[in-house]
Amino acid sequence: MMTKKTCIAMLLAGGQGSRLGILTKRVAKPAVPYGGKYRIIDFPLSNCTNSGIDTVGVLTQYQPLELNAYIGSGAPWDLDLSHGGVFVLPPYQKGKVGEWYRGTANAIYQNMAFIEQYHPDYVLILSGDHIYKMDYNAMLQAHIRHGADATIAVREVPWEEASRFGIMNTDSEDNIIEFEEKPKKPKSNKASMGVYIFTWDKLRRYLIEDEDDKSSSNDFGKNIIPKMLEENQKLCAYMFDGYWKDVGTIESLWEANMDLLTTPMPIDLHDKKWRIYARTQGYAPHYIADGAKVSDCLISEGSQIYGNVIHSVIFSGVKVEEGAEVRDAVVMPGVTIKRGAVVHRAIVAEGATIGAGSFIGEDTGNIAVVGYDIEVPAGVSVAAGQQVDETTKYE
Amino acid sequence: MKDVMGIVYTGENDALLRELTMVRAIAALPVVGRYRVVDFLVSSMVNGGMRNVGIIMQKNYHSLMDHMGSGKEWDLHGKNEGLYLLPPFLTRENAGVYNSLLDALHSNTNYLERSKQEYVVITGSNFVYNADLNDFVRAHVQSGAEITFMYTKQPSVQRENFGIYAAISEGGEVTDIEVEPVKPNYENTLMNVIVLRRDLLRQLVDKGAAHGQHDLYRDIVLPMVQAANAKIGAWEYTGPAWLIDSVQSYFRFNMDVLDSETRARLFPDNLPVYTKVRDEMPARYGESVQCVNTLVADGCIIEGTVENSILFRGVRIAPGAHVKNCIIMQDGQVHSGAYIENCILDKQAVIKRNARLIGPNAYPIVIAKNVVI
Repeated sequence: MMTKKTCIAMLLAGGQGSRLGILTKRVAKPAVPYGGKYRIIDFPLSNCTNSGIDTVGVLTQYQPLELNAYIGSGAPWDLDLSHGGVFVLPPYQKGKVGEWYRGTANAIYQNMAFIEQYHPDYVLILSGDHIYKMDYNAMLQAHIRHGADATIAVREVPWEEASRFGIMNTDSEDNIIEFEEKPKKPKSNKASMGVYIFTWDKLRRYLIEDEDDKSSSNDFGKNIIPKMLEENQKLCAYMFDGYWKDVGTIESLWEANMDLLTTPMPIDLHDKKWRIYARTQGYAPHYIADGAKVSDCLISEGSQIYGNVIHSVIFSGVKVEEGAEVRDAVVMPGVTIKRGAVVHRAIVAEGATIGAGSFIGEDTGNIAVVGYDIEVPAGVSVAAGQQVDETTKYE
Repeated sequence: MKDVMGIVYTGENDALLRELTMVRAIAALPVVGRYRVVDFLVSSMVNGGMRNVGIIMQKNYHSLMDHMGSGKEWDLHGKNEGLYLLPPFLTRENAGVYNSLLDALHSNTNYLERSKQEYVVITGSNFVYNADLNDFVRAHVQSGAEITFMYTKQPSVQRENFGIYAAISEGGEVTDIEVEPVKPNYENTLMNVIVLRRDLLRQLVDKGAAHGQHDLYRDIVLPMVQAANAKIGAWEYTGPAWLIDSVQSYFRFNMDVLDSETRARLFPDNLPVYTKVRDEMPARYGESVQCVNTLVADGCIIEGTVENSILFRGVRIAPGAHVKNCIIMQDGQVHSGAYIENCILDKQAVIKRNARLIGPNAYPIVIAKNVVI
């Protein structure tokens, strides 16, 4: 039986995310926790399922264990299907050849056989680096309506930041006439979101040509898109004006979490029509004890709060002991903050313990980070911007 | 244990639960912020390795079916076995309403016959517990008893004119049983949880049906104990247990779980309790919130004052609202200026601006599902 899908998604989840420092030492960036119960990859996966795209290939190569376990059968996103569903696609040996994914385009090239199984008309390319809610189906409809060969999702960024992005210059009908990667003098402020829809027949041809070009770095932004423009293919921009946050650095990850504490939330996670799904642990509801103080925060199930939590995001299974204070902080699953400890402007990664009376972070300066499963001893201080791992010597 | 199947019987009398069971069985009662009673029973079975679990349903079973679905959350969506929802049905012998567990089992003879497991654990649904059923079944097999009952010595589950109590010898054998005594003479309360061989169960069910017997304890087990020709075992459950037979006991159970030590005993790390997932975002607290001694589920938005309460998923407490000693089920709302104390709000109940509702501590007010006050 031939399975035919109009559009399937390929999610590039292989990046190391080195700018997240010790937070991506053990897990790939898409598996980094966000928003009290989610991981970054929940957003593109939920967007797919909510957009009616039920076949998703997730391309991994860096620290894939946790991501594999997290995705599992795909059931939390309703992607455990007999025809379609979610598939984790690591690099593999092909005949005598086997190699790592060399670039974004090469990663798709190496999985052409996977894509061809579904005989798709269109392929949606996604990354696992952003927090946003987007209807990919609306974008697909625009792509079809325009008869485009490729459609690139863009959003307007502040002009002063435009030179940090891949900028699309368009005509009045949203046709892309020029693409500039990090231009010094941007002519437009429409930045690429790294979300592409390609007509598959076209993309396949360009992937094969690109692979034959030994000088190419096999990247969508650097090679495929410019080549298509050069050869007068029809490329369209698709405007997106919702919340979209890159969480590629410690500061931006912290900010994106803090965004959920403003009212109204810039990204509505209560939206019943566009739920963000996540794999959950099945904890009991969280408990706020007598004498605890909670204000302006998100708290997830299974946590126990005996101390003060102010303007912070608390994941599941966290314990904040009596007299401890958590302020402007992101506290990931299973963390214990002992009696009298103060965590301020910091991210504490999964499974860490903050010893009694210790100080993590400061009122100003960069965000402090405590790594996975680290036990910070009692009575020490961690400075703003410091990243604590196994090798850290305390003062 | 692979060779054990589980059956949950949900046909208990629920008259004293008033509005709470008008729309659902006791097994489907929402408890502790995100669960239903049945979650504890089925999770115990699954944690005990059972892969074949049948739920005998009686009346108002829509919410139970909706909750259990395919059994996915309990990992019971297997190909060969898994979750079996067994609703009542009309046949020549069966009026569609079961008088008792024995009747219900007789109507489901086919299911019992088709199953392959050697042992069956049967539980009622009016006791909430979280037991290690591996230990229970192992104790049964090792003792060589015909039937083994689970019991607790906890005095809080004893009732006048209700319940089944047993005298138990030092060797763990049941030597006497009293069914619904005016005042119990024994401190051991049987928890409506039994284990026996499947073939023996089938014999007992057939025999009961043939003799017009309906009551497992009075008609079947008591004569066995009295004749002393069969070994009837007992296994003590030492975790916390609650009997949910009235609005008061339902309220008590939820409030008891506010105690951290009790909560830790009800939710031991090795016996997780599974339930249907709703994919709500974490609870969100506003700026001038006072919230103490309270359990809060995901999806809540809390901007007022809450003390000694249980908030289920998606509950909204507006700024200036005050909630004390309350249970508020899924999607309930308390608007600004309202004050409620000793109330149980069923699902989607709404307390409008400036309303005041104060129930007596011993007799909480129940606001039925979807009611707006």
